[in-house]
Amino acid sequence: MNRYQILLRKIGWALFTILFVIILNFFLFRILPGDPARAGVRDPRLKKESIEILRVRFGLDKPIINCFESLNPIKVGSCDVNPLDTQFFIYVRNLLQGELGFSYHTNRPVGELLSERLWNTVLLIGAGQILAIIIGVIFGIVAAWKARTSIDRVAVISSLVAWSLPTFWLGIILLFWGSQNGFPLAGKTTPGMSSMPLLQQWGDLAVHMFLPTLTYTIIYMAEYTLIMRSSLMDVLSEDYILTAKAKGLSNFQILKDHALKNAMLPLVTVIAINLGFTVAGVVQIETVFSWPGLGSAIFEAVNRRDFPVLQGAFLLIAVAVIFANFLADLTYTYLDPRVQTE
Amino acid sequence: MKRRFLFILVILALVLSACGGGGEKSIVRIGWAGSPDNLNPGMGILTESYTIYGLVYDTMYNLNLDGSFTLSIADSVVRSDDGLVYTFKIKDGIKWHDGKPLTAEDVAFTYNLYKDTPEYPYLNGYYTTYFSAVEAKGNEVILTLTEAIPNIESQLVFLYILPKHVWEGVNKLEYENFEMIGSGPFKMAEYAQNEFVRLTANKEHFSRPPKIDEVVFQTFENQDALVQGIKTGQLDLITEMPNTSVESLKTTENVEVVIGAPFSPGVTDIIFNQLDPENCPTDAGGICTGHPALRDRDVRLAMAHATDKQKLIDLILLGLGTPGLTLIPDGLGVWYNNTLKDYEYDVAAANKILDDAGYKDTDGDKIREMPDGSRPLTFRLNWPSDSITSPRTAELLSEMWGEIGITLEMQAVDPDALTAQCCPAFDFDIMIWGWGSDPDPSALLYVYTSEGIPTGSSETGYSNPKYDELYAQQQTELDFETRKSIVWEMQKMVHDDVVYIIPFYDAETQAYRSDRFTGWITDQPKVELSDVTSLVVIEPVK
Repeated sequence: MNRYQILLRKIGWALFTILFVIILNFFLFRILPGDPARAGVRDPRLKKESIEILRVRFGLDKPIINCFESLNPIKVGSCDVNPLDTQFFIYVRNLLQGELGFSYHTNRPVGELLSERLWNTVLLIGAGQILAIIIGVIFGIVAAWKARTSIDRVAVISSLVAWSLPTFWLGIILLFWGSQNGFPLAGKTTPGMSSMPLLQQWGDLAVHMFLPTLTYTIIYMAEYTLIMRSSLMDVLSEDYILTAKAKGLSNFQILKDHALKNAMLPLVTVIAINLGFTVAGVVQIETVFSWPGLGSAIFEAVNRRDFPVLQGAFLLIAVAVIFANFLADLTYTYLDPRVQTE
Repeated sequence: MKRRFLFILVILALVLSACGGGGEKSIVRIGWAGSPDNLNPGMGILTESYTIYGLVYDTMYNLNLDGSFTLSIADSVVRSDDGLVYTFKIKDGIKWHDGKPLTAEDVAFTYNLYKDTPEYPYLNGYYTTYFSAVEAKGNEVILTLTEAIPNIESQLVFLYILPKHVWEGVNKLEYENFEMIGSGPFKMAEYAQNEFVRLTANKEHFSRPPKIDEVVFQTFENQDALVQGIKTGQLDLITEMPNTSVESLKTTENVEVVIGAPFSPGVTDIIFNQLDPENCPTDAGGICTGHPALRDRDVRLAMAHATDKQKLIDLILLGLGTPGLTLIPDGLGVWYNNTLKDYEYDVAAANKILDDAGYKDTDGDKIREMPDGSRPLTFRLNWPSDSITSPRTAELLSEMWGEIGITLEMQAVDPDALTAQCCPAFDFDIMIWGWGSDPDPSALLYVYTSEGIPTGSSETGYSNPKYDELYAQQQTELDFETRKSIVWEMQKMVHDDVVYIIPFYDAETQAYRSDRFTGWITDQPKVELSDVTSLVVIEPVK
């Protein structure tokens, strides 16, 4: 197989996975017990007719799919309905038109709502990941190079501690420490900032981002340090490193030209997986710092049975994970020519 | 290396944050745990939304913190002799935030909008039920009802007056109302969902111009951060806090803690499924699997005697609550029947009741059986998994009722799943849940009616024709004293029948910075410092 065929096959698999997620997403949430028309509005004042009207407005009065009226409780319905008039096909049709629907809860377009939140999360993860990668890799290299010295021991022990810290606990400690030192306790902007000059707005954002990013960085940095260290130590014990030393290369040259490229492989995998999953996984940090990101949006949507938001969010996460893995595959082929021939 | 890097970041951040300061405007910064769900008053559901509506819009009546009402945008109201027609004379000179005048036309338009939009879950379904026609004549609004009702004030108090010139051209369901043109004491300045709401003062308000310049409501998803906010002075008011923080805040310098009945008084209830299988609403999805023993008043009475409410309050709420009687909480003031005497905590008496009624432990496993020996008094106890206090309550109840030979199978259930299990399915034995009350008792009294069984409003399946009759009566009784005595009678009835055990009425705890603003209203029966009542009178500390 040549390069293009491999690429095409990978794209094909990615698309197939996304298709699978789209279908699964729809049924997954409808298996949950509970009626979105009543979630959050359990109130004696709500008339039966009002609930019925909500159901019609949400499209919940239509059968889920041919032969099934509802999935929880399972109610078998007529199989002789127009398939185009079922919840499932309306969902697929809208999705094909790029339409994610309206949130049951806030009435806002899901696309708009999620992109707002996604941007906030990407900002947080982006800054955190970049810092974590840079610092983690440097620490890892130093620890591996100075293996079995006190520098190494300090690096390993502190990384182990940092990595095993519960995220929310570290967050709260930093929150308390930060609030004593003038850092804001919640949100991503100071209300009223939008009328200020752009530079000041960025400064405000940076101040708000500091604590959550720091939390994120500490946790992930530790993971990267440990992986980088052990992988680099493996490589450094190889014969060709000895050869390089014998050739009289400097330490820096050995690291840069011979050791690092090989040692980076496991790290790339971990980073790719992290990038995909942390889109959803920062929910703890987002909650501690009241950061209006995707994680907290998902949490609210689950509580309110807000199907359109959930479907949209899970699709987004699935695409993120698949895309990150896809990128990892590509990077791999670039970093390690062996992968191509296999 | 690491330390220096952090150090640089901290310095950078501090420098930047210092740049952000300044300004002489008096801004009240309020921290709360929620965020409005929708700025369109027809569509909003959460309390936070109603707080914002109440600040930005005017209504026909203002609701005071003692539960009374005052006429607001009208100079006078005249009720026809048959009680069916109300004529409100709207004040002159009231202006919308965009400068246009507020007229009777706007009021009539608004009431018709709510009346004719069944998709508005609350404002239509509940408040406009009795509206027959609304029209504007000159500066008068004439409201005709289908039935004479006693509580027109509480029907109108949440119907926020909207500007016709904005609303007549929009899709009333999808309109997000971000500009929020109102006429109230505060104007919408900036709204970032789940982040903050920023309001500026409407200094030209016709009756209640605020003395401060701005109010900011900021969303905190983390309650510890809220408490930290008031301690460090980043916030001027927090509208809620964990009970565990109350003591430490009380001793914090420049912080005042206020405790009282909530604006929307809260009730925690223990629900017994006592539905008679004959009344099972099978058409509405009734499954009706309740334990037969709970249909027996004696069993419920014994359980009431075996429940140590004070202990529950002390251990669960750290003392911040009052023992409850019925679903009508003490926070409702005049409607609360304060003459009822609660069942005394007396385990011996409870045991005797069960012994006398024939519930004996025949097999010596310390659990009583039904009089016919068919099944033990083992009840399922469920509560919504998002409740913080319920797990501990359940544990304590299990201990207390264990003393009288009753065991519980305890399980937390997802709130939605619990709703599905609850009503009208009646697929449970006992649940711990709660209600927030309206200013008028009618809504919660409805929960006890037979009519509520198939609609899902009734949680207990309690059915008492006499009660149903009284309920209908109080709905149309125009004389205040007569209506009050009916409402009191109804409370006595359901208390005698031990329909629920109400362990406690919740207290509201809020805290404000005394070094920032003064004049907060704290001497009223209800406490709500983020309500318009306080926000229009407070002023900066000089």
